[in-house]
Amino acid sequence: MSEDLIIGIAGSGGDGVISAGESLLTAAALEGYHCVMTKSFGSQIRGGEASCRLRLATQPVLNPNGPLDVAVALNWDDFKKFGAELPVESATIVIYESNTGVAPDKLPLQGVKPAVVFSVPITAMAAEHAGTDKAKNIVIAGLLAGWFGIGRESMLAGIRKKFAKKGTTIVEGNVRAFQAGLDFTVANPLKEDRKLSAPQSGGQTKLLTDGNDMCAAAAIFAGCTFFGGYPITPSTEIMQFLDREIWKYGGTVLQAEDEIAGVGAVVGASFAGKKSMTATSGPGMSLKTEILGLASLAELPLVCVNVMRGGPSTGMPTKAEQSDLFQAAFSAHGDCLRPVLAPTSVADIFGVTVEAFNLAEYYQTPVIVLSDQEIAQRKETVDPIDTSKFQIIERRRPTGQELVNYTRFKITESGISPISHPGMVGGNYLCAGIEHNEQGRPTASGEMHARMNEKRFNKFNPLKNRRDLFTIEGDPEAPIGMVSWGSVAGVAQEALRLAQAEGLQVKLLVPRLLYPVAETVYQDFFASVQRGLFIEQSYQAQLYRLVRMYVDFPAVVKPFAKSGSNPILPSEVLDRLREMVVAIQSSQQQPEAVEN
Amino acid sequence: MSQTLSEKPIVPAVVTETATGERKGLTKKEIAADHPTWCPGCGDFSVLALYFKLIEKRKLWHEKITTISGIGCSSRFPYFVQAHGAHFIHGRALPFASGVSLSRPDLHVFAFSGDGDAFSIGGNHFTHTARKNIKMTLVVMDNQVYGLTKKQTSPTSPLGFKSKTDIWGAVDYPINPAKQAISVGASFVARTSATNPNHVLAMMEAAMDHDGFSFVHCLSECVEFYDGAFDAANPRKGGVFNEVPKTHDVTDEFAAYKLASADFPGNFGVLYKVNKPTKNAREAEINASFQSKFTGQKDWQILQKTFDRMK
Repeated sequence: MSEDLIIGIAGSGGDGVISAGESLLTAAALEGYHCVMTKSFGSQIRGGEASCRLRLATQPVLNPNGPLDVAVALNWDDFKKFGAELPVESATIVIYESNTGVAPDKLPLQGVKPAVVFSVPITAMAAEHAGTDKAKNIVIAGLLAGWFGIGRESMLAGIRKKFAKKGTTIVEGNVRAFQAGLDFTVANPLKEDRKLSAPQSGGQTKLLTDGNDMCAAAAIFAGCTFFGGYPITPSTEIMQFLDREIWKYGGTVLQAEDEIAGVGAVVGASFAGKKSMTATSGPGMSLKTEILGLASLAELPLVCVNVMRGGPSTGMPTKAEQSDLFQAAFSAHGDCLRPVLAPTSVADIFGVTVEAFNLAEYYQTPVIVLSDQEIAQRKETVDPIDTSKFQIIERRRPTGQELVNYTRFKITESGISPISHPGMVGGNYLCAGIEHNEQGRPTASGEMHARMNEKRFNKFNPLKNRRDLFTIEGDPEAPIGMVSWGSVAGVAQEALRLAQAEGLQVKLLVPRLLYPVAETVYQDFFASVQRGLFIEQSYQAQLYRLVRMYVDFPAVVKPFAKSGSNPILPSEVLDRLREMVVAIQSSQQQPEAVEN
Repeated sequence: MSQTLSEKPIVPAVVTETATGERKGLTKKEIAADHPTWCPGCGDFSVLALYFKLIEKRKLWHEKITTISGIGCSSRFPYFVQAHGAHFIHGRALPFASGVSLSRPDLHVFAFSGDGDAFSIGGNHFTHTARKNIKMTLVVMDNQVYGLTKKQTSPTSPLGFKSKTDIWGAVDYPINPAKQAISVGASFVARTSATNPNHVLAMMEAAMDHDGFSFVHCLSECVEFYDGAFDAANPRKGGVFNEVPKTHDVTDEFAAYKLASADFPGNFGVLYKVNKPTKNAREAEINASFQSKFTGQKDWQILQKTFDRMK
């Protein structure tokens, strides 16, 4: 039996790879398994290579990574294009299309000889039983249902529902194709039982959704009534979700003529008193920079979601990377500080997005949410959202008293000044990008500029003490500490579990607040640490370098970072942790020179 | 769940009422802010004075309007007006104004811009805001030169214009703003000149009363860097101020385009005006039709239904 199963399917665009994965995912989720499914494509619009990875488990799934337990290849050329995204090991069960003409003992996998290989005439079976090779995905679903015991009944019900409108002939053809897949597994059984154990949860029906939809739903919950943006992969689904939903709440979606106009309108709506949001990805973020700077100076609330993809420039639009952190923190001219938050999963992005709106409103600032392609587009089972857990914060508006001789940028103890909006009698002020005095009138006084900078920076001081924006797992006194963020945090969490199972003393810090850097949180975390590791998906290890700008920590804290689209495996992290244990032991025997 | 933002003004702070209880229009003192920093003789003074006059005449209260601009000489405009206003980013006044207009149907949005701001760096926004027929009034003060940066060629500078970036004379063909506005779908297009105050006021007023994207192209001379640019349109300087012929049908797009194509100084007045639904109105319909399906439901109940569909 298996508790955790990782399945990778690859083929060319029209092969139904994604729909096979989705059928399996939906069936498994209905039966109560914890599931994650990621999709990966070439950057072609139609056709090209397509793949999906599914991870189905009886316990909560922390990330979709790891070597495949099951690999399904519809053709080997496309399969191989995914390289390390679909790693095959000797223990992997390989299922492939016989018409590729490849002999089972001559699979084009460099240096790997999988023990169990099935050559299956998938296309021929689809044609024979359903009358069309379009049913390949259904045959694959049948094979996987048979060998791994996933969702046989739910899948049949799903097929009947999905094809109902197309008439009985098509329904029955697909049912036969599914049955053909099942029959094949009966005739060719696995020697070892790899069926998934029964799910432990059951009962409560989970949501099955992706990070972009969850982010958009959270924006609505937080009270967002204005969205302005421009389509860009992989963030577009946020705009599409809101365009389906926001009207019900009296809101508006503006598909702008460009990225600049999108965020320009968002700043306008915020000035007009509305909670507003834009979403984009790397190149769009570059375009929005100037306007975000104005929103910082004019102290206007807004949320800007950057769904990170591989960069720089057009880079790798369909792949995840964590390389926009420097941009999020620093891409503004002048002295400028704006909060940067990052969710770790589809479930997590709901709370992080709500928090982003709360921070934006409370501190009157743009807030950047760094999602990434993986969180944005992976489907994940999520426990139903308990919205009563979340508090909603509104911007501090002036009272009637404060509207007499209204002072928009009044220097207060907290640095936060009441903000009016058009329609408030007496609340007139000029919102501008030019430096202002307390009344909002333009100034070129060095003294006033210094005071305003101080106000705009100091107002964020309390934010750096928000320890609830960080989670720490593991033994608080552990000599080994990991830090990881965004979608990679799930890999570190799994590595932590593996390390703990081996009896290693390890702890893990996962920040949701990336910037401003919460110095004391890191200082406290590293107090017990003799060896540390930042685990990130970027060439530069951007969080590692960002934190080092503000925090002195032991020189033996190092990054473990890879460029985007090169999965970081929990087992690789575990190897690093083991090395650190050895290093600590040897340094205790003989003190080593401190590296710099 | 969030509270819907109240559109009602919070306690009025400085409202003056007459003995009969009727609210007085604003006086110039209540509208004017800092003394303008434009050069003496700048055409923009005239436009500012007429904007004040419009506010006084039509009793526009502060809480009913916003005054928005981008960057440039003309775009300093909002600094000189006491209003809910914004001095935004170079070229981006219209996106900001769109955000205000689309989220606040209770306000009238006035945007002020110059030839560089509206037609060069902001050219894309001019096209699309007009095309979408977003309700607002855009007044472009066109001096055919970059003044704030001290004499460079602008997108409306005529061929041969000598500037610090075209020392041998401009070689690029200029934009004709009125033609462009008509061709991209603006629903109200007028031409005027800062040297004819009554005409400027009449055009701004007609623009304000138009339900849609209204564009007023106003010649406004830069005496510092392009002195005499518009003498041909000024009778006091020996030119002619030809109004749009009374026989012109303002709803005739081709006739309007032809009028707009005339050689300088051309015709002044409303060239084109057509009534078509605004983006604001269409979206209000979408909002209403969605919301009628959820009458009596709280926001969180509607959201719960959305979550249920994710199962």
